[in-house]
Formats: sequence, structure tokens, C-alpha cells
Amino acid sequence: MDHLKKMDRSQKNAPVSTQISDTLLDIGYRGIIDLLPCYLSIQDRSMNILFANENFRKDFGEGVGMPCHRVYKGRDEICATCPVRESFKDKQIHLSEENVHLSDGELAQLIVYSVPVPDMLGNVQAVMEMSTNITRVKQLQKELTFLGQSIAVLSHDMKNMLEGVQGGSYVLEEGLKDGDIALATRGWDIVKRNIGEISNIAQDILYSCKKRDIERHEVPPGEIIRDAAALFREKAAAMGIALGCYSDPSLPSANLDPAGMRRVLSNLIWNALEACKQDKAKDTHNVMVRAVFHARACCAFEVEDDGIGMDEDQLDNIFEGFYSGKGSGGTGLGLFVADKIVREHSGKIEVLSAPGKGSTFRILLPMKQS
Amino acid sequence: MGKPPKILIVDDNQDLLFTMETFLKRNGFDVLTADDGQKGLALIKESHPDLVLLDIMMETTFSGLDVCKAVRSDADLNDIPIIGISGIGDEMGIQIDKWGDDDYFSVDEFFEKPVDREKLLERIKVRLKKGVIKRGHPDL
Repeated sequence: MDHLKKMDRSQKNAPVSTQISDTLLDIGYRGIIDLLPCYLSIQDRSMNILFANENFRKDFGEGVGMPCHRVYKGRDEICATCPVRESFKDKQIHLSEENVHLSDGELAQLIVYSVPVPDMLGNVQAVMEMSTNITRVKQLQKELTFLGQSIAVLSHDMKNMLEGVQGGSYVLEEGLKDGDIALATRGWDIVKRNIGEISNIAQDILYSCKKRDIERHEVPPGEIIRDAAALFREKAAAMGIALGCYSDPSLPSANLDPAGMRRVLSNLIWNALEACKQDKAKDTHNVMVRAVFHARACCAFEVEDDGIGMDEDQLDNIFEGFYSGKGSGGTGLGLFVADKIVREHSGKIEVLSAPGKGSTFRILLPMKQS
Repeated sequence: MGKPPKILIVDDNQDLLFTMETFLKRNGFDVLTADDGQKGLALIKESHPDLVLLDIMMETTFSGLDVCKAVRSDADLNDIPIIGISGIGDEMGIQIDKWGDDDYFSVDEFFEKPVDREKLLERIKVRLKKGVIKRGHPDL
């Protein structure tokens, strides 16, 4: 910009074309290369960087004099798919996508072009490398793909539930037709269960999409956990899982959105029951829901199960929208929605889990909330 | 009058297993059920059903695809008609009705959930008739 200002001052009355060429000379080609909105470097045959533009130096550090694989990836060997090496070999332009580390430690994905730089005899003594950071584009691409797949899974689940409603209605009708109350009751139970599941998914979708203001009231935390657990008594009993509930009697009322918090706990209890169902290693399972003090300043809701548990990879992803550890049995919205509501309460969710042992989800909410 | 045709339903969803079992029993079939792919394949080998109603996308490690593959690659079983059922179809880009071209994964028919029961019944009867001609089942 200083160069441009300088041009305005000194060459106000010169013809436009002269002004531009003089400006280019003024900035110099090196200056122009520095201004390029991409990384540009020149490497010799040993992959040592001979020149790097300003953008490169800003994101990768000085780098000149060092091998590019060391600067990009911190390694001593040349990268397996190195386009620069290819350009040295065949004197052609090459293209590749590379994962690199920026100097601040961040991972970045680059699209890299390598262009041979011939000397006067046509021998390639250096290769110019131009690259663009496409991390954001790749991230969006990944999210869109994931979204598409997730909607397909969601649709699969909804169809299963509709099949349940339809099949349950058929069984109910047949039972009524024959005066077989036991059969009719079984059909009605299937209808109710599947309507409940459809309703859960619909509410999670609404919670995850809609921007909503939380409606706080003074509520005893014990009441919230009892309400949420009551919704699952029947399901837990049918699955042979003991569902318990405990509230610290000295816990004061908290300023919460009761509907939102019931949704959070419902999603966590649902997950806990499913985690127990997936665990074939034990004959009996327990799910415990608690409302207790945590470090005096927080009210903690806990949902503990002794089900299948999660490994570190699963734990890294559980709060992502549309991630599900339940295969096609989950929409991947439950924890995403739970996390969203808890954050709206200025709280956080902690998870302790080990494969084969079970999981504990702990919601920490500050007692004094505005 | 011969024995009623034997149909095996393989589905990991207990609700769907029970409702389909009720429907088929009330339509005069002898019904066997399995709630995962491995049990399903064991029952196919043991009972040699006249038709299999198979959930394709089960959440079990041995899915409907695996059952289909195992049946189709077993010379003693590969003439058993399989009707595939799944909630996944077009939205996953899976065109299951075209699998007939591929011996390995082929199902004879495919129904998407929620299933039209009357249509399913009609197709079961057609498949069973074809099975009689093809295999000369003595009891049918």
C-alpha cells in the first residue's frame, strides 16, 4: 500500500500505462510475489528452499535454506507424493494435495502445483512450488458429505419407525378383531413405542435447528431428573435394565429451562439404555441418574451406565452433529442437542468412559445463573 | 393338503419381527424368526425355508448383505428365494432392485419400509410358485 500511495503522490499527472509499469518497477517483482495470495517457494534438487514469499514465511516460518519436507511436515525424508521431485524428473507441471503443519502447529491441507524452472540450456535447476490453503474448503466438503449421509441414516430410522407404527396398528386391529386383548395390547405397545421414537427425533431436529431463548424457572433439580427418568421406566423394564434415580436433598432449586433440561437428560438416559443394550458381555445392567452438588458452586446432573462404553476415537466425536456410535440405530443428534442446551445454560458436559465398563455423562451447571 | 410353506424372517428389530410374524402366520404360513444375520443363516441351513424375508441393513455384525452373500455362494441354498427389506433405498444411492444382475448379492425382490403388506403377500405367493416349479418342492 505504501508503494501505491507513493505512486499517487509522485506520478499524479503521468499517463495510466506509464504509471502502472513504473509502479511495478517500484514494487519490484519480489514485492509482487510477496503480495500473491498463495504460498510460493523455489526449491533446489535437494529440496532446499531457495526462496519463499511473504505469505509462506508468515505461515511456515523463515524456511529458506531448509528442506521443504522439514518445513512442511517436520520430517527428514522427502514426501512420498512430492510434486517437486516429479517436476525435477520429467520437467512437467505436477499437482498434488498435501497435509502440512503450519508454524503455529495447526494442520492445513494444501493444493500444490510444482513448476520446473529451466536455466538457459533447458536444464531444470530449480522447481517453483505454488500452493493454496484449502483446509476450509475440505472441511466444508467433509461436512456436506457427512450431512448427506446422515440424512439418509435419519430417513432409514424414520422408515423403520413408520414400519413399526404400521405393523403395530395391524397387530392391534387383528387383536381387536379376534377379541384377543393380549395381542391388541402388544400391538398398541409397539405403536406407542414407535410414536415415542418419532417424537424424540422430531424434537431433537427442532432443538438442533432452531435458535431459541431458554426459559428459566426456579426448579428443584430432583424434580427434573425424576420427570426424565419416568419417561424411560417402561422401556428400561422391558430391556431388563435397572434404572435408578437419586437427588441430594440439600440441593437448592436451580434457575433452569425445565423443558430443555428434561430433553438433555432424556437424550442421555436414552443413550445409556442403548449402550447397555449393545453390551452383550454382561447379563444385567444398571443406569443411574443423579442430581448432586459439584465443587459447591455447581449443580451436577449425572447419567451413569455400565454398558458398552466408548474408546477415545468415539469420545472425540460424540458431540458432533450427526455422529452416532449406535450405527444405524442412532441419529447422531441426541448429544449434539444436549450439548447445545447445556451451553445455553452456561454449563458444560463432561464424559468419563471406558470400553466394556460403561460411561458417565456429567452436566455441570453454575448455581448462580443470570 | 400339504404343509404350509415355511418362511424365515430375519430382522434385528423385535417390533418388526413380531408384526411381520403375526401377519404371515395369519396368512397361513409356517413362520420362523431370527433377530440377527448369524442366527438367520444357521436357520436357513438347518430348516431350508421356502422363502427368506431379509432385513438388509441390520445393525448386527453379520448383516443382511452377509446372509445374502452366504446363501448365494452355497450350492445347497442358492435357490431359496430371498425378499430383501430395508429402510434404505434411493437416498443412499443404493439401487437394490438392480442387484439381480449380480449373483453374489442378489435378492429376488426388494421392498422398502414401510412395507405394503398386501403387495408383499402377493409377491411372496408369486415367488413361492416359482420356487415350486424350480425346485419341485414335494410339500407345496
